[in-house]
Amino acid sequence: MKKIFRNKLYFLAVLLIVIGGLVCAGAGMADEDREENDLAVSPGRALARKAAKPQQGWTTTDHSKHPALQGEFRKGAEITAACLSCHSEAESQLHTTIHWTWVGYTDESGKRLGKAGDALNNFCLSANSMQDKGCMACHPSWDGRKEVVNCLACHGQKNINFGEAFEDYNAFADSDDPDEKEIAEEIQANVLAAAQSIGRPTRQNCGECHFKGGGGDGVKHGDLDTSLTKPNKDLDVHMGVDGQNFECTRCHTTLEHNIAGRIYSKPAFTERKSLIEDDLTPKITCESCHGSTPHEPGHKANDHSDKVACQSCHIPSFARVNPTKMSWDWSQSGKLKDGKPYKEVGPLGKEDYLSIKGRMTWAKDVKPEYRWFDGSMKTLTVKDMIDPATRVAVSAPVGDQGDPRSRIFPFKVHQGRQPYDKVHKALLAPLLSGKEGYWATLDWPSALAKGQAALGVPFSGEYDFVESSYYLPTTHMVAPKQNVVGCIECHVRTDGRLASITEVYLPGRDRLNLLDTLGWVAVLGSLLGVTLHGLGRVFTGGRKEE
Amino acid sequence: MIKRLVIGVVALTLCLVFIGTALAMEKGNPRKGKYTYRKVYSTCMARGAVESPKPTVNPDAKTRAQWEQVFANRDFAQFGCDQEWAALPAEDVNDIYSYLWEFAADSPTPAKCK
Repeated sequence: MKKIFRNKLYFLAVLLIVIGGLVCAGAGMADEDREENDLAVSPGRALARKAAKPQQGWTTTDHSKHPALQGEFRKGAEITAACLSCHSEAESQLHTTIHWTWVGYTDESGKRLGKAGDALNNFCLSANSMQDKGCMACHPSWDGRKEVVNCLACHGQKNINFGEAFEDYNAFADSDDPDEKEIAEEIQANVLAAAQSIGRPTRQNCGECHFKGGGGDGVKHGDLDTSLTKPNKDLDVHMGVDGQNFECTRCHTTLEHNIAGRIYSKPAFTERKSLIEDDLTPKITCESCHGSTPHEPGHKANDHSDKVACQSCHIPSFARVNPTKMSWDWSQSGKLKDGKPYKEVGPLGKEDYLSIKGRMTWAKDVKPEYRWFDGSMKTLTVKDMIDPATRVAVSAPVGDQGDPRSRIFPFKVHQGRQPYDKVHKALLAPLLSGKEGYWATLDWPSALAKGQAALGVPFSGEYDFVESSYYLPTTHMVAPKQNVVGCIECHVRTDGRLASITEVYLPGRDRLNLLDTLGWVAVLGSLLGVTLHGLGRVFTGGRKEE
Repeated sequence: MIKRLVIGVVALTLCLVFIGTALAMEKGNPRKGKYTYRKVYSTCMARGAVESPKPTVNPDAKTRAQWEQVFANRDFAQFGCDQEWAALPAEDVNDIYSYLWEFAADSPTPAKCK
C-alpha cells in the first residue's frame, strides 16, 4: 500500500517538474522563437506580421509651419489653393479617380456605371446624375459642388463645420462691433488650426462617408459602420485599437490618389499575389499579406483557399456592434398622421418607419449569405430592362464554381421594394432631396419625372413597386481566430451556412447513395472479416508462435 | 370705478411690457447669438459646472411660441449654468433668443447645436 502511495507521489512530482519546465520555457521564449513557432502553427499570420510592422507615423513635414497655411482663409477654395501650391499634381490626379467622378466606366452600350451615372441601388435608389444634392455631402469637394477639391475631406485631422465657419466669418470679419470682431478671430483660428492639421487618411476620414453609405450609420454596408472608428480586436483583428490598429489605407493602398479595393462592375483586383511575389502589389487581398496557404502545414483549411474566400470563415457575422439595415420598402412611404409625416422607432433604436422613406427593418449580428464571387458585381442601371414578376437583382455578384478566380464569398443581401416603370419595364430613379424632391413633396409622379429627367431617361408616367435585392460583399469585421466559423457550420446535413451553394459536393451535407452503399459494404465487410479472423484464431488455438 | 381703472392700467402696462419685450427681442442678432450661446457653456465647462461645451438645449427643442414664452418669462433655469446666464447683458440674451427662435422646431430650418 505504502509502495503504491510512494509511486504516486513520484509520478506527481515528475509531472509537476515537466509542466513547470514547459511553462518556463514558454515564458522565456524569445520573440524570434515565437515567430518560428508562429511560422509552424500559422504561417499566414507570421507572414503578415513580417509584412506589416507597427506603423511609426513619421512625417517629413509640419503643416502648421508652412507659410502657405498661415494666411486668412475666407472660403474652402483658398485652402485648396494653399495645398496645391506645394502638392501641385494632387488635384489633377484626384480628378481622374472614381472618388471624384463617381463613375467607374462607361460600357460599350453607353451606360455609365457609377453612382453619378446610370447605376441604381435599393437604398436611396440613385444620385440622379449628381442632381440630388443630398448625396453631394459626401463628394470630396467644397460646399457640395463638384468644382474645387476639398483636400481636408480625406486629409484633415480636425473636423469642423467649414460651411458654417466661412459663412459666419465672412459675416463678422468686416464688422465694427468689437464682439463680432472677436468672434471672427475665434472662427479664423479654428479654420487655421483645421487647415494646418493634415495627415494620411484615418478611419474617421474614410468612415465619414463609407460608414454612413446609404444615408446613415450602417445603412448600406453590414461590415462598415461607425463602430469601426475605434473598434476593439473582437470586432476587427486588423483595425482593433488594442491590436494592430490599422487605418483603412494599410490595406487600401493608394497610387496617385487611386485607392485599391473598390468593387463595381470590374473586379477590385485581378491577381492574388503576396508581397513576397511582388512588393508593390496592392495589399487588398488577404493573400497579399497572409499567402495562399496561411494555416499550419497539413491543416485542412489550406485545401479550402482555392474555393472558399478567407472572409467566409473569418467573418462569422456582420453588424456585430451597430445594427444594419436589411430591408427597405419604398411602397409604404407617404403615410401621414394628423396630416403630417411621422416616424416610428424600432427595438434596435433605429427608425422602422418614416413617411418620407417607407418601412425598413434592421438587424444586428447577422450571418452572411454566401455566393460565388470573382471580385466584380453586376449592377442594374436605369437603362436595363427588368422582369417585374421576379425579385430584381439590382446588384449581384459575378462568379461561378468553374471559374478559378471565383471563391465562395460572404454577402449582406439587402431586400427592397422600389419603383419601376410599368411601360418601359425599367427601374426608376426618383429625385429625393431638395424642394422638388420626394422627401419634400411626397409626390411620386413628380419626383419620378424629375429624377428621370435629370438622368435623361424617359418615364411613361405609369409606375408600380417591384421587389429587389442588393448584394454587398462582406470583407471587414474580421473576427479573432477563436471566433471563426467552425467546420460543422457548413459540413452539416441541413441548414448549413452553405445551403445556397448547391453546385459542389459538400462532404457532411451532400450524399451519394452509391458512395454510401459502398461505404457501408466496406464497414460491414471489415467487421465480418475481423470477426471471422478472430473466430479462426479461437478455434485454431491462437497465434502460430504460441 | 377706481378699482376698474387700476386693473385697466395694470393690464395695459403688462401688455405693453410683453409687447415691448417681444419687439425688443426681435432685434437680436441670431448669428452672434449662436456664438454667445456656445460661449455660455464653454465658460461654464471651464469652471467645472458642465462636462461638455455643447449647449444642452437645441434650438429645435421648442417651437417659436415656446421660445417666446421662455424668454418673456426669463425662465432660464432649464438651461443650467445659472451663473453665466445671470451675468449675460440683455443684448446677449436677446441675441441668444433670436438664434433659438430662428432655428426652432417649427422654423423653416430647425437646427441642433454642433
